[in-house]
Amino acid sequence: MQLVKKFLVLALIVVLALPMMVGMAQDGASGTLIGAFDIGPGGAPGVIPYMDSAGRTWLSKIWSPLVSWNADISALEPQLATSWSSNDDNTVWTFNLREGVLWHDGEPFTAEDVVFSLNLAINPDAATNFPGFSQLSRDSVKEVRAVDEMTVEFDLNSPNPRLPYNLILMWILPQHALADLNPADYQTSDWFFTEAIGTGPFMHEEFQRDQFWAVVANPTYWRGAPKLERLINRYFADETSAILALEAGEIHFSYASGDVALGFEGNADYQLFSGPSGVTNYMIFNERDPRFADIRVRQAFLYAIDRQAITETVLNGTAQVVPCIGAFPTMYPPAEDLNDYAYNPDMARQLLAESGADFSQPVEVVTYYDSQFHSDALAAMQAFLADVGVTITPIKQDVPTYNSYFYTGDGWTISYRGVGAGLANFPFPFYEVGGQPTTDGAPLDGTSYPELLDMIAQARVEADPAAYAGLIADICRFQNENATEGYMWTAIRFGVASSKLQDFYWFPGPGGGPYEDHAELWSVAG
Amino acid sequence: MQKYILRRILIGIPVFFAITVIIFGLIEIAPGDITDYFIRPELNMTDEAKDEIRIRFGLDQPVTVRYGNWLLNVLRGDLGYRYTNGQPVGATIIQRLSATTLLAGTALAIGATIGVALGVFTALRQYSAWDFLLTGASFLGISIPSFVAGIIILFIFSINLGWFPAGGMRPVDREPTLLTTIHHLVLPALVLSLAPIANFMRYTRFSMLEVIRADYVRTARGQGLRDRRITWRHSFPNALLPVITLLGLSLPSLVVGAVFTETIFSWPGMGTLYLEAVNGRDVPLLMGMNLVIALVVLGANLLTDLAYGLADPRIRYD
Repeated sequence: MQLVKKFLVLALIVVLALPMMVGMAQDGASGTLIGAFDIGPGGAPGVIPYMDSAGRTWLSKIWSPLVSWNADISALEPQLATSWSSNDDNTVWTFNLREGVLWHDGEPFTAEDVVFSLNLAINPDAATNFPGFSQLSRDSVKEVRAVDEMTVEFDLNSPNPRLPYNLILMWILPQHALADLNPADYQTSDWFFTEAIGTGPFMHEEFQRDQFWAVVANPTYWRGAPKLERLINRYFADETSAILALEAGEIHFSYASGDVALGFEGNADYQLFSGPSGVTNYMIFNERDPRFADIRVRQAFLYAIDRQAITETVLNGTAQVVPCIGAFPTMYPPAEDLNDYAYNPDMARQLLAESGADFSQPVEVVTYYDSQFHSDALAAMQAFLADVGVTITPIKQDVPTYNSYFYTGDGWTISYRGVGAGLANFPFPFYEVGGQPTTDGAPLDGTSYPELLDMIAQARVEADPAAYAGLIADICRFQNENATEGYMWTAIRFGVASSKLQDFYWFPGPGGGPYEDHAELWSVAG
Repeated sequence: MQKYILRRILIGIPVFFAITVIIFGLIEIAPGDITDYFIRPELNMTDEAKDEIRIRFGLDQPVTVRYGNWLLNVLRGDLGYRYTNGQPVGATIIQRLSATTLLAGTALAIGATIGVALGVFTALRQYSAWDFLLTGASFLGISIPSFVAGIIILFIFSINLGWFPAGGMRPVDREPTLLTTIHHLVLPALVLSLAPIANFMRYTRFSMLEVIRADYVRTARGQGLRDRRITWRHSFPNALLPVITLLGLSLPSLVVGAVFTETIFSWPGMGTLYLEAVNGRDVPLLMGMNLVIALVVLGANLLTDLAYGLADPRIRYD
């Protein structure tokens, strides 16, 4: 027993002495910024180009596209392309490339790299996710060709007035480094974690899977050498762990959900970043259930739920009510054209009674959301609907389970979900109620509105920006008037950074952008 | 002994085979597959892209063909590639297994050492203030969820005192050393060892109380042997059998990992990997991990049985 005692005392002394022996210097180096860039909805640790359904805030530190979003994702920002134009029918697009850009290994960037990148991204052997994200594939792209060293042309099989938006996710990769890569080995190649040559502001240094990815300043970056010496993306399994590390001073930045972020408000040690998620949350009604084919029932749901009160009190002002599927006010017609469906439980009861719909049995509302934000929102919706005699039962499923049911159109009545609904990623199939086909080709929610589909078809090919914006507003007006779905709100998302960071910028772009954040200007105060 | 070991191994082969069939079947009937994982609900994916993914992973083939292919590859020593990121399953498991073994092994060593010592300590002081205090504390150790204990310990030792890192397995701004590894290991191992300490203490206390009341111990005392000799030479070895059982049952946790502790401390181990595999419907990874887990469980049971023979001369296997 004496021996055990001695051992325990010795062990305790060693453990307590460890902090002094090791030091806690993780954020001590002023030239190093450590962030949890892959926490939250925009994150995807260890993802590679063209497989990136998210994680683009980080990818944009190493690689660049021809064009990206601007800082608040309201317009395009030139990156490796300086300008672009199309022919009259939008079938041929010409991009002029930036002169003097060097790859991290010193080789010059040319039009051949763009040709190589697109052909790789849409190569069926590489089987990337790019065609799914961008709507560009071998069917839609006839040819991409280098006109000269600094000019590239995209020849399309059908008109596309918004091609530059489709190219936001086309990271440009170096032909000279990857020419020998067999496309079939694209996803299993170690290159992206060992060499990772790009044109971005930072150069690959070290990747430790599931732990961190470290990059160092690119002295030849075309916007100027970054002020930081190193930038490190530390991986955390969840938000709580990242926030604890932020509070412990080990990292400088993390995504934070609304309720957590508001706890940092007014704290001089931190700076808060926020912006619209660009994602609209709504209840999609499956009109195979005849109750929801009746507009009075759909409108009753909107009148029954006090959306304004939920966003202001339950969600602490971290969401804004939407009139239709558009996530941004620029997509809405004038307010007087819209029904605000202000909270009116008497109206909801009256509409339900007139419809004759039977809601004596609970209705399941399936969702893939598991955050506190949406749990609170669903609980509030449940209470408001109960007040008008409708009992809903929220059912949480993981994403694969949810998708396996949702896209068949069967096995669910109401789905509470979200969809990225910005001006530029229109026409998005979810804009078309019922336009998103199920796996057997039928309309997803069992119905479709010919008038709406006609407006969408026009918008699809409309090249004039003003006419296009007008059509988007018309679509919003139609959705609002017909309560085609139960449109709820768009969330505001937050990032929390140490006040030591200077000129740091973060925006909650869907999937992490990519957007222009001028990472070359970031620095850490000593 | 050798015959016994050989017999156990031979029995293990069909058991192992049955486990793989059951797990493959369970994955097959679970809703959703890797295609559903790749569809981001807030984005979009065309039907053609979904079909391409299914073909890429061979999901267009019958389940029997897919299982047969997997089994053949395993027999060749190839666990395949992960669906979600294309990384080799074998290398991924080895990397994560080493992290989990370090964490869970340390926690188990702490748990067994302190738990057994406290068990003996309290058994020799039954119904004393120490006994009540430590037995009460053991209930707390068993009951407190690791994510609660983890956050409390992080809040105290990392955020307030700043003594230990708030997560990770190594510093990200310099090369890891033995000291930095221990530094990162202390808090997660401490949290993970709370339950083992309590369990080992309770088992040892109960077992010791039975042994010290046995006739041969009374006889030893009657013969005038010193208390220390009676405790450590005559009582303790005989009280070890239930502890060996507990130790054997704990071994698989070295492989399975501790999901909550690894998550809170961002420890890149098997627990969080298993969650990733399930959430991504990553069949090759799930099968690979279950294969390793099954092997360890079978091996741990065998080792436990053999350890009985070493601890108790009355047990013979020939």
